Amino acid sequence: MSKIKYIGRTTDFKGKTLWEIVGNLKDFGVGRVIARSMFERYPEPCFMRILKVQALPNEDPRKVRVTVEKTFRGRTLPRPTEICSTSYKADYKLIPKSEEEQYCKITSAMQERILPSTIDFPPLLKEFIVEETGNQNPVLNIHFKERLNKYCRIAKEGETPNVKVTMGLGTPASPKLYENVKL
Amino acid sequence: MLRHVVGQSARILDTNLVCASTNLQFVRWRRKPRWLPVAKSKRFLVPERKPQDSDERLELLRLHNNYRTQLRSVTSYLMKEAEVNRKTSTADHLVLTPEQEEAEFQKCVAENEAWNAKIAQEREARLQKEAAEREAYVARKLEEARIKQEEERERIEEIVRLEKERSRSYITKENLDAAIDHALANPVDHNFAIDLQGNIYRGRDAGPSKPGEKSAEQAALTSGS
Repeated sequence: MSKIKYIGRTTDFKGKTLWEIVGNLKDFGVGRVIARSMFERYPEPCFMRILKVQALPNEDPRKVRVTVEKTFRGRTLPRPTEICSTSYKADYKLIPKSEEEQYCKITSAMQERILPSTIDFPPLLKEFIVEETGNQNPVLNIHFKERLNKYCRIAKEGETPNVKVTMGLGTPASPKLYENVKL
Repeated sequence: MLRHVVGQSARILDTNLVCASTNLQFVRWRRKPRWLPVAKSKRFLVPERKPQDSDERLELLRLHNNYRTQLRSVTSYLMKEAEVNRKTSTADHLVLTPEQEEAEFQKCVAENEAWNAKIAQEREARLQKEAAEREAYVARKLEEARIKQEEERERIEEIVRLEKERSRSYITKENLDAAIDHALANPVDHNFAIDLQGNIYRGRDAGPSKPGEKSAEQAALTSGS
């Protein structure tokens, strides 16, 4: 038994590249479940079910194009996702068939984040706008880009946002850090 | 970083404390140069990850998210304002009624035509002048060429004339025998030498002249002088 010696930098990845997994499976593992070790830090289950596998030319032997049905933090995305540019990462693991049912049981799901539609202006800019327009309470529309994989949206009319975005410091996530500070 | 110079200088340091400050030297390149490989002692070293405080991480994440949202919101607001300003402001262009615009256009057209007419006139004059100059140039060149050709023909005719004159003394098939006879009858001896006084010393056919003895010509020359 040879002794294992690690060389180089530490890594957060743990597992194999996607090709190392699907290349060894019957029918390239279509129907099997894979998971990223990196996503195991979340309390909700994250896994991917393989729908289609396309091999690539041997220019980059670590890569493969795989279409998966992705479940991220307990929420299954509405559309299949294609993994290609991240397939080289040695962070994938195959879930054995016997454990699939247990692993894919969605017990809890990520809560949808609702952002406020408007926030305050920065104080000086607000002064300028009040002086220019005479409007005493100008409001700034929040910047938000719609994305399919974002589980986040802007609050509709009459809805209360569950994420607080303020122009100031806001409510600390860890009040412990501000114990002796006057806010 | 400072380092004491060891050995010889150290002994001097002991004996002569006055020059102690001069025996210090600076070592500027303490680190391993970039082009050297990893040190043998460090080859299998896997640096340890320092764990981040989770409270701190969460708070920083929240602050960064907050900050990015604020910044992008303000940026997009200012960009929209600038766009609206650009569209509505008349600072960079004049606003005219269609009649004024038409009048302005007609004025521009008239001015442009006037310019064009003026430039056309200038161009006409210039082209005429250029054509005249060109004509004169061509005529001059033609005359020069004619003179040169005539001179050339005269030169060639002179050569032909001289050659014809010389051809009278040529040796042809007809007078070849006569020429040979003449040459045999009158051998020419070029084997002679002349000294500074003009004395001719005959060589081969007459035989080298013995010292004290003078050839016929020499005698004639000396007697003549």
